[in-house]
Amino acid sequence: MELEKASARLAPRSPWQAVDLGTKLYRQWAAPVLWVWLAFTLAPFGLLLGWSLLAETLWPLFLFWWLKPLWERPLLAWYSHALFAETLTLKQLFQRWRHYALPGLASQLTWRRFSPARSFNTCVWQLEGAKEEQLSQRLRALNSYPSNRAGIMTIVVLHLEQFMAMGLMVLLYTLVPWQFSLEWSDWFYDQGALQMAIASATLYLVMFVTEPLYVACGFALYLNKRTWLEGWDLQLGLTRLGRHRATRSGATVLMLLALMLLPLPEPATAQPAPRNEEQQEVIELLASPDYMPFEERTERQWKDRDEDSNSWLEEFWKHFFDNLDDDEQPESSSQPFDIPDAVLWILFWALFAGLVIWLLTKVMNQLGLGSQRRDHSPVIPTHVAGMDIRRHSLPKNLRQAVENALAANDIRLALSLMLRSALASLLRRYPVALAAGSTEQQCLRNLKAAHGEPLPILYLQRLIQAWISTAWAHRPVDADAVRSLLTHWEEIRAEEAADA
Amino acid sequence: MTQPTTLADATQLAQDIEHHLNQVLIGQQQVVREVLIALVSGGHVLIEGVPGLGKTLLVRSLGKVLELDFNRIQFTPDLMPTDVTGHAMYDQKSEQFRIRRGPAFTQLLLADEINRAPAKTQAALLEVMQERQITIEGKAFTLNEPYMVLATQNPLDQEGTYPLPEAELDRFLFKVLIDYPDHADETRLVNMVLDGTIRASLDVESLSPVTDAAGLKAMKALSDSVLIDDEVLDYALRIVRATRDFSGLSHGASPRASIALARASRVQALFEGRDFVTPDDVQQVARPVLRHRIQLSADAEIEGQTPETALGRLLEQVEAPKQ
Repeated sequence: MELEKASARLAPRSPWQAVDLGTKLYRQWAAPVLWVWLAFTLAPFGLLLGWSLLAETLWPLFLFWWLKPLWERPLLAWYSHALFAETLTLKQLFQRWRHYALPGLASQLTWRRFSPARSFNTCVWQLEGAKEEQLSQRLRALNSYPSNRAGIMTIVVLHLEQFMAMGLMVLLYTLVPWQFSLEWSDWFYDQGALQMAIASATLYLVMFVTEPLYVACGFALYLNKRTWLEGWDLQLGLTRLGRHRATRSGATVLMLLALMLLPLPEPATAQPAPRNEEQQEVIELLASPDYMPFEERTERQWKDRDEDSNSWLEEFWKHFFDNLDDDEQPESSSQPFDIPDAVLWILFWALFAGLVIWLLTKVMNQLGLGSQRRDHSPVIPTHVAGMDIRRHSLPKNLRQAVENALAANDIRLALSLMLRSALASLLRRYPVALAAGSTEQQCLRNLKAAHGEPLPILYLQRLIQAWISTAWAHRPVDADAVRSLLTHWEEIRAEEAADA
Repeated sequence: MTQPTTLADATQLAQDIEHHLNQVLIGQQQVVREVLIALVSGGHVLIEGVPGLGKTLLVRSLGKVLELDFNRIQFTPDLMPTDVTGHAMYDQKSEQFRIRRGPAFTQLLLADEINRAPAKTQAALLEVMQERQITIEGKAFTLNEPYMVLATQNPLDQEGTYPLPEAELDRFLFKVLIDYPDHADETRLVNMVLDGTIRASLDVESLSPVTDAAGLKAMKALSDSVLIDDEVLDYALRIVRATRDFSGLSHGASPRASIALARASRVQALFEGRDFVTPDDVQQVARPVLRHRIQLSADAEIEGQTPETALGRLLEQVEAPKQ
């Protein structure tokens, strides 16, 4: 890697300035990288879309989305060469594919698929080609403070992708002639072949725009991080100085070096050029071990903030993490939350795994691929036409209860008891779907529709007629008719018991 | 002309009228039944359906079978209230103001595409529908009984329409949905036109009167004697009241809906040949009584619910009458 060939100025930047640089790279080379994207993805997308439409399933499209890390590799390869003034042709990209696309791909397509810092970490795998044992060390070093913000950048691009896809779908919806009377819900949720093809093509079109941008920004963040850590800007400056050494005096070189290392003063407060003694002081200061000492810190540390701004939640987390770190502190036992680091990590991964499983289950259920077995047997209701038909609410001795009601000349109560009892028994033997608002006649209709007209259901019909006449027409049947119905019911129960 | 004296006579007469209308309006038995229930209940009907389903034919047939006067107003954006009710005009000969009666002076008024006229013209019907009278130049004219407004509106092509205000909607006893006939009925209709059994224009001249205003009045009086048990009445009220705090509904039905539901349930029972109302009668008429009186909440609309689905859920959840 020849830094002096870089076509962008390698200087330490804030993460957002680095993202700006990535955007600039994308704009600069939009045409070639879009061709790269099309060359590597159009055919697979077409095949997977065709498969999806033929099989009427979304899984092939989901596969295309899942393989995003693979599609991003050629883009990164192109950017990484183009930055250092080497333009790869499509042929070269295809020829070298095995070398740049495979390192770390397996992990990126499996357990690291949802890594928010994918755009950044891909650069480490692909461009540095580190071995697995060095890789984690390298990633730890590159992801150390200050944060590279690759995760947030991923979230931003994800939203951009979603909003663009949604906007494009809405735009297409507005272009559908009104004669089609197409509803919003049909447009967005109908899984017909046409809608699926349009939605997939829309998503592909959006990815066509966002993916090269995403890769460029991740690459720029990576360059920025290395510039910070490895002082690429200094290296470049020294190289340039080295070239001029033969023609320049030593004092001038030192002065330039000092000027380059020190923050540049504002023009308004510009100082006169330093004298020789001052230059010597600067050189000594730079050479001393106190100047910008490097230290490695592994414990978490909270920023000092105003006391007033500390909320109870912050206090809680502060205690929580403090306890994690202070294993050897005896006073930690006096604090309320003493959880070891391992437990926290187990908790985190358990939660994460739970979330992934839950999401997968939801998606599979949505696609109708879930393995859940639905019990289609109707639920036996507890109330029909407002009547409680649970066993415990019914009299133990029905005949006795009915006779008591008849003795009190309460025909309605007697029939009500018989109806409840009959429904409770029949709905267990002949289950049907009923709602709280189902009337007795609906219950009868549903029973007939589901089970025909066996004797118990015909008996229920007679009973319901007597009930309607008594309850709603205010023409109570006589006591003998009630007893006759009761006797008939007892006979039916006896037959059922004998059959059982 | 037939005039019922007993409930059985009234049921028979109702079935005769239904039979006659169903011969002309093929495949719309439910619509015919609901319109007749509204007529006997003394209410007005808002019919919603796409053009070409026989809304006008229904009203004309109704007028013919019942020997009632019939007028039709095509509501348009430039229709004025006086075009509906009438107005006073100066007669130069007699040098006096003369009342010119509008088409609302009739017994069956078809307000075709009512939502195409602006609100002030729609409002001209408020007094007519509620008070059954028309006031012109301060003078009130009582309309002949029975009086019924059948308004139609098209669910499609809502551009340039004026949605009916709540006050007006509430004055309709029923909102009846008229849909396409099923395949068998449509085949029968086309065959009847092709073999000349009925003319393509589906004119109603072949219909003979079954009863008249007096017969209808007698039916209405008999329907008032249909028994409605306290529990059943309470069930009807619980249904209406449930609309006021039901999830998915932002506005429920008014007490006018409770009255309408009880009254229509009685007529429904009469049509079924019973002198008492069952909870099933209440359920049967609950949808046409309530569907135009409820308003879906915004989130329910976003979820794709309709008044029909909301009412379906409501009727499932309101417990049927207790013992």
